[in-house]
Amino acid sequence: MFRWDDDQMLVTLSRQERDVLSILPGLLDGVEDGEDAAARLDYGAHPDDPDADAAFRNLVSDDLGVARRRDRATFAETVEAAEISEEAAEAWMRVVGEARLVLAARAGIEEDEWEASLDPSDPGLALLGYLGAVQDQLVQALSARL
Amino acid sequence: MTTPSIAPDRTDLPDVDEFQRTDRPWQVVVWNDPVNLMSYVVWVFRKLFGHSEDEATRLMLQVHHEGRAIVATGPLEKAELDCHRLHHHGLWATLEKT
Repeated sequence: MFRWDDDQMLVTLSRQERDVLSILPGLLDGVEDGEDAAARLDYGAHPDDPDADAAFRNLVSDDLGVARRRDRATFAETVEAAEISEEAAEAWMRVVGEARLVLAARAGIEEDEWEASLDPSDPGLALLGYLGAVQDQLVQALSARL
Repeated sequence: MTTPSIAPDRTDLPDVDEFQRTDRPWQVVVWNDPVNLMSYVVWVFRKLFGHSEDEATRLMLQVHHEGRAIVATGPLEKAELDCHRLHHHGLWATLEKT
């Protein structure tokens, strides 16, 4: 699925796989305030100190939003590419991971060992599983560069 | 030469415990979640903190089995930056004083 050719990562994916992956930026942009998925992606740093937590969020929330939008833009621009840079591959990794968190939140997954207790024919769970395989392949490829 | 800034008769000096509490570094705690792949968490620890594969794996397994692990320690500004970078990678991280 992913292998290196010098400093470029070669991406071998079927037409169907690229079609599936191309929906991810829209899926993430479509997360609405108030849903569980939004809560999963809403991070604080000081759970026991509301003032410090508000200061942290004020400090970094814009940066986090910018970084996420940059990742999604990079992903959208390269999802059809036959080869991508290491930087783009890391953006792919984060977008795929974020999409998995959203799908899991919408499926109500809160505990470990959830794979055995849920309906494998559920389309959202099928996508969650597929994206896990994609992310694991990206991890294997990117780990070679550490 | 300098002079003491606190008058000898001042009685509201911070006690040692208070001084040490405010001067202590912060630790970055990563919490378990049921979705992020173990292999991905190991990669994030190696990428962000430069841990060896063995150390990153040890920390990941500590998160998985004990629910949390301390992955970095330092002054507040650095700890908050580390926490932010973990958030950018989708990991659930918070800060606490050592």
